[in-house]
Amino acid sequence: MKFGIFYELSVPRPFANGIEAKVYHDSLEQIRLADEVGFDTVWAVEHHFLEEYSHCSAPELFLTAAAMCTERIRVGHGAVVCVPEMNHPIRVAERAAVLDILSNGRLELGTARSSTWTELGGFQADPDTTKKTWDEFVRTIPKMWTEERFSHQGVCFSMPERAVLPKPIQQPHPPMWVTVTSPGTELDAADRGLGALGVATAGFAEQERRLKEFRRRIQLCDPVGTVVNDQVATLNFLYCDEDLEQAARYGNTLIGQFGQANSHLLFTREAYPTRAYGLLANISPGGGRRRTPAETNPGQSVNLPEGMAIGDPERIIEVIREWESLGVDQVNFMLNALECIPQEKVLNSIRLFGEHVIPKFSKLN
Amino acid sequence: MLVGTTPLEQLVSKLPTIPSWKVEPVELKNVEILQAQFELAAADIERFLPPALHPTIPPLGQWSCWDVPDSPWGSFRLVQFRFSCRSGARPRAFLLGALIDNEDAQKNLSENWGLEATQADIHFLRSYDAAEFQASVNDQIAIDIKLRDPESLSTTDLQLFASMHGANTPSGLRLVQFDPSYEVNRTERYMPTINRFDAKAWQQEGIDPVYAVTAWGANTSIHLPKIRFVCRPDIDAFRGTESVQDA
Repeated sequence: MKFGIFYELSVPRPFANGIEAKVYHDSLEQIRLADEVGFDTVWAVEHHFLEEYSHCSAPELFLTAAAMCTERIRVGHGAVVCVPEMNHPIRVAERAAVLDILSNGRLELGTARSSTWTELGGFQADPDTTKKTWDEFVRTIPKMWTEERFSHQGVCFSMPERAVLPKPIQQPHPPMWVTVTSPGTELDAADRGLGALGVATAGFAEQERRLKEFRRRIQLCDPVGTVVNDQVATLNFLYCDEDLEQAARYGNTLIGQFGQANSHLLFTREAYPTRAYGLLANISPGGGRRRTPAETNPGQSVNLPEGMAIGDPERIIEVIREWESLGVDQVNFMLNALECIPQEKVLNSIRLFGEHVIPKFSKLN
Repeated sequence: MLVGTTPLEQLVSKLPTIPSWKVEPVELKNVEILQAQFELAAADIERFLPPALHPTIPPLGQWSCWDVPDSPWGSFRLVQFRFSCRSGARPRAFLLGALIDNEDAQKNLSENWGLEATQADIHFLRSYDAAEFQASVNDQIAIDIKLRDPESLSTTDLQLFASMHGANTPSGLRLVQFDPSYEVNRTERYMPTINRFDAKAWQQEGIDPVYAVTAWGANTSIHLPKIRFVCRPDIDAFRGTESVQDA
């Protein structure tokens, strides 16, 4: 079992008095500590225009800073948006290769297509085509990394023969992932030999079902790269505290604040009817399966799945054992939301997890 | 986080009264709907919502027109102007105004569901390559929208949300959750243009549609159920939501 920390870089209003800088620098301090105590990966999302929810629009820069101040922890670009209006695929390959070099071969490259109208509309991207452009990106990026010179005649981009430089130092190339929010995307990942980077919190039963099918499909995959990444990661919240009552209080606040910030987002399907975006399985407004009338009471919080890593170390070990038993390879944790947990407490949570939980799942054990 | 800032009584010029929760559900068959969606200028947008609700980012204005060929109150056309928002974590649209062309339907929608609409002349047209609707009050055009370039969609591609609107109810002044269910038979997507939007006619001065997102049309059956939830307008929906069955 591997453990990651996962950053949206959420920033509470008002956006003044250096609050954005504080969030960035506090996060780097957390990453340095996570590196020391044994976390495996730090992931950073790419989002644009998502006020409060995520101010992480240039993750490659943030991750470069993270790589520069750590020794061991891997840096997860989780995920670069594979929509040409936002990122040209050549620039994605180039920037990722540079990050792999600067981190001494610690890059994990996640890929995504954005799920909000806030972002797609902001870049005037066509929601109908993002699945196709994502597919074209993931099929060409590994070739840009591994072929001395590369040319392409495609739908979302074309280029004559050029050397895309520099090349990453991991051989044959850095591991690639797909963020999985909508049900079924894990199968798109499996079919292409890409890891499934869960970014939606989901309960044990749902994860088990999806994991089983992923494992079956990836055996038959036609990989887009020269290496298959058969890992499955899931997203979770972490608040570890020896005082159970305090853990519950801060943990529930963390989940609540994340949900509130998330609820402001305008999801693509809500603004723009399209067959390219199914129902989201995350905690987005209107997400998941169609709801029965009894489930639409606004007075009820969105039901969060079981299996959250909130509590004292013993409880969290139990929770992670359950995830381990399902065959999940990596659990990634969100540590804070809208600064609702003071930095010292976040650092203490990381320390406790490193001291008491990680050793229980290390290879030596 | 952004939340609505204006008391409901100040947002709505005429609050309807629902005298009783005893409402018989109504089935509307073969209804044609057109809906156009535009991003609204975002500055200070929360002043158009009561404190119970919070806006989406960006805010989305929705103008819809129902062409109802038959109902217990006869045929009618209803134009609604709504604004995307959240009630708790649920996606909703806050009703900023409504226009209707049938007095009996106007009375019943107001008394049974708290949906207050003003009498208007409403024009509705759907053809093979375009659609349009226009509503006028006292010969003044309140809204005029044209839709072009229809593309067929699957009936499951639409995501339809409940409205919230203010009313005096047996529980007091409340936001009423108006949540029809739809059985969609056909749907298509369009590109919309607003030829005219008179914010003053809707008593929503300051609302400014700035960017066309999309539009859709549908043929559907609409089930108007009993009201299930209301919400105190002055506190957030997590604390303020009440089940009507408990009332």
